[in-house]
Amino acid sequence: MRLVPIWFSRRAGRRRATRPAALLALVLLAVPLAGAACSSGGDRPKLVVYSGRTEELIQPLLDRFRDETGIAVEVKYGDSADLALLIDQEGDRSPADVFISQSPGATGFLAGADRLRPLPEEVTSQVAPAYRAADGTWVGLSGRVRTLVYNKNLVDPATLPRSVLDLTDPAYKGKVAVAPQNGSFQDFVSAMRVQLGDERTADWLRGMAANQSPVFANNTAIVAAVGRGEVPMGLVNHYYNVRAQAEDPNVASVNYFFPDGDIGSLLLVTAASVLRTSAESDDAERLVRFLLSEDSQRYFAEKTQEYPLAGGVAPPASLPPLASLDVDTVDFGQLGAEFRSTIQMIKDSGIER
Amino acid sequence: MASSAEVGTALGAEPLGTAPAPADLGLAARSPGSTPAATRAAARRAPWLLALVSIGVASVFAAPTGYLVWRSTDLESDLWSTVTSSTTLEPLARSLILAVLVSVTAAAIGTGLAWLLTRTDVPGRRVWRILAPLPLVIPSFVGAAAFLAALAPGGLVEELLAPLGVVRMPRLSGLPGAWLVLSLFTYPYVYLPVAARLGALPPSLEESARLLGRRPPAVFRTVVLPQAASAVWAGALLVFLYAISDFGAVELMRYGTLTREIFSTRLDPATSVPLSLVLAVVALVVVAAERAAGRRRARTEAVRQKRPLKVPLGRWRWPATGAVVAVLGLALLAPVAVLAYWAGRGLANPGSGTVELRTDLGALGAPAFNTISVSLVAAVVAVVVVMPVAYLTTRHRSRVSGVSNAFVVAGFALPGLVVALALVFWTLSSGQLARLYQTVPLLIFAYVVHFGAQAMRADQVAVGAVPRRLDDAARMLGAGRVRRFVTVELPLMLPGLAAGAGLVLLSAMKELPATLLLAPPDFQTLATRLWSANESNHFAQMGLTGLVLVALSGLLTWLLVVRRADRLD
Repeated sequence: MRLVPIWFSRRAGRRRATRPAALLALVLLAVPLAGAACSSGGDRPKLVVYSGRTEELIQPLLDRFRDETGIAVEVKYGDSADLALLIDQEGDRSPADVFISQSPGATGFLAGADRLRPLPEEVTSQVAPAYRAADGTWVGLSGRVRTLVYNKNLVDPATLPRSVLDLTDPAYKGKVAVAPQNGSFQDFVSAMRVQLGDERTADWLRGMAANQSPVFANNTAIVAAVGRGEVPMGLVNHYYNVRAQAEDPNVASVNYFFPDGDIGSLLLVTAASVLRTSAESDDAERLVRFLLSEDSQRYFAEKTQEYPLAGGVAPPASLPPLASLDVDTVDFGQLGAEFRSTIQMIKDSGIER
Repeated sequence: MASSAEVGTALGAEPLGTAPAPADLGLAARSPGSTPAATRAAARRAPWLLALVSIGVASVFAAPTGYLVWRSTDLESDLWSTVTSSTTLEPLARSLILAVLVSVTAAAIGTGLAWLLTRTDVPGRRVWRILAPLPLVIPSFVGAAAFLAALAPGGLVEELLAPLGVVRMPRLSGLPGAWLVLSLFTYPYVYLPVAARLGALPPSLEESARLLGRRPPAVFRTVVLPQAASAVWAGALLVFLYAISDFGAVELMRYGTLTREIFSTRLDPATSVPLSLVLAVVALVVVAAERAAGRRRARTEAVRQKRPLKVPLGRWRWPATGAVVAVLGLALLAPVAVLAYWAGRGLANPGSGTVELRTDLGALGAPAFNTISVSLVAAVVAVVVVMPVAYLTTRHRSRVSGVSNAFVVAGFALPGLVVALALVFWTLSSGQLARLYQTVPLLIFAYVVHFGAQAMRADQVAVGAVPRRLDDAARMLGAGRVRRFVTVELPLMLPGLAAGAGLVLLSAMKELPATLLLAPPDFQTLATRLWSANESNHFAQMGLTGLVLVALSGLLTWLLVVRRADRLD
């Protein structure tokens, strides 16, 4: 007796079985093709960029660079810290030439692991010393300023404090949202430690914890919560509320900048660096130069509403002038190295709850 | 599913198939595993080739754990003090509490829904069946963000209810928030295997029970549930492992699980690597314990002889419909409505910098194609690759099968970031494989390693459902091993395999961390687009991309998983 696959034994069965099979075969064919299309770069010069900045914020500039120079640019987008870990894991075999980080912490991690090739002085010197590494391993591209976002229906701007340090006052109990697990908050705390010392920083963190500051996951979540009135205020980077207002012009959240060079108005830079393992370091350096050029810097000011750091370009009108942010005393190069103890300090303060 | 029914009828009509009566006796005894014939079969030693292949497959799946062990020794981290410190134990306890709560809830929702939609005359079941698996495709960070936007104080629901004078909504966070969100988005892990199982069960027992006067709830409890137990456990374990590995939901809900701890310390590998290893070990222990417990579980084999029984719900019809609507409304409709609200707000605000939204829709073409093709291939490959292990672990109890099972299944508990870094390490440190680095095949491989557990659990349920007597009969007729597998067993397993492929498909479609790290540069999927939109606070884009993702996954599950079952209805 013969055993025949039952689904082939009837006409209807055969028809039903073939259609998904054909679909699958098509897909199985298409994938290697797509893969081949992705990997075919030919012999043209090619740069691989790992970018912690999202496509929306940087891709137009990279397109412009490609058009001007004929150098193809492939980009891998991801979270800055994840990409830094990836580069570290790849080690000597990393395909990346340039790393663009959204926050100083991730770049500091790579600098600490000796993965970054110092840029020439004439490139980095376009940017003020506060916004670049002393050893040239990275240079700031644009800046986001720390801010207190508040709900204009719930808070009278006249009652807002002059300094972020005043937020530990009982008057603000339960009112100021924070995101202690978020990279930008951690960078802010690191900067605070550098500028004010560990003791005062720990005091402030404990004060915020004692004030039962509501804890949120990240900047986006805080701005959304302030917008809908869940909490009256929150400590974030300025960029997020700009975005929120673009989405919904009626949103009640407003950015407030601490005056007189308060540490609360710290500038957090996005940083570019060239990898030590890059085989195309000349082209990589060219890209960094391009990103520091006047045109590119104008793009940051106009399109992404950030502080330009080079080329003498003025910041967007909605932001306080760069000179009013007194950050000269902070060496951002130390932020990465201090990362671990900063996290520990935040933990110990009990602010995370 | 169609084919399995045909098989059943065809076999019943031929001398090859045994008469239905013995099968039902076996079911009535509820433990055919203890019948003399079955005991002999279980004791049969595993074919050495099968064992060897399984070891090979399992060792590939052990890659992430192996990487963690290597990294821990490399970093010379003090494993013991990490494991015993309160900063590890407290988050670990929270992880376990959350995972248990979520598994129980998801198992209840998934099983109830599967029974209602496959075995009762609940109205609209054809539509519900397409929708029921879909919450799985919503990435947890998107789902959690949507829930927060809707339910948080000052959120959309409060705005909607404002005219009715409703008080402020409580703040959704911590354990209750994570529990709610994860349960609603993971019940399909239970729903899909259980639905596949229930669709293939013989109606005779239920008929008898009902003839003897049992009401539907009692029939469900005493007859249906025991028969579906292996599928329920299969799904519940997946939910458990997913819950301890999830980052998106616990981050937004601010519930400090071990995984959140791993993420927040990831730039400090001396801390994060041992923590990840703890997670891996916990998963291995849980999987092994579940397998040990499963030894005593009744295993029922069945071939469907005709259409499954449709239980008339009678006066329970409308309450049951209400329950289905409530679950799908919360798990699918609510997040989709929020996504639609975000997209609509962006479209209605042309001056908002989201003017490119219409062109965005066009720009989603390539990511959509990438998502579909990579996930489809991963789903099929996963189901095929783990088949030998599933076969070995279901049919032959031995140390080899126990260890293989643990490594394939436990890998699912590791966060995608860890799996990705492990594969980077193994790929780049082995000469030839390095050429595959950052190519689509490696990405598919990552999905298979990460989600193989889901295919495995579904495969195991499918293998377990094939009656041994059919195999024995075919063997007596002189059919070879391969032929028996292809002609007798495979057709019977298809519904279960399709469910497994469906799970992997939906998981791969939303996978984010491994995709970001391992995909070729410029290779985008819908999930990476969602991430990008979320990162830049671009809610309109997030809404639009999310809607496309849900729609596509609905189309695919309908085409590949649901449609076949529907023909029988």
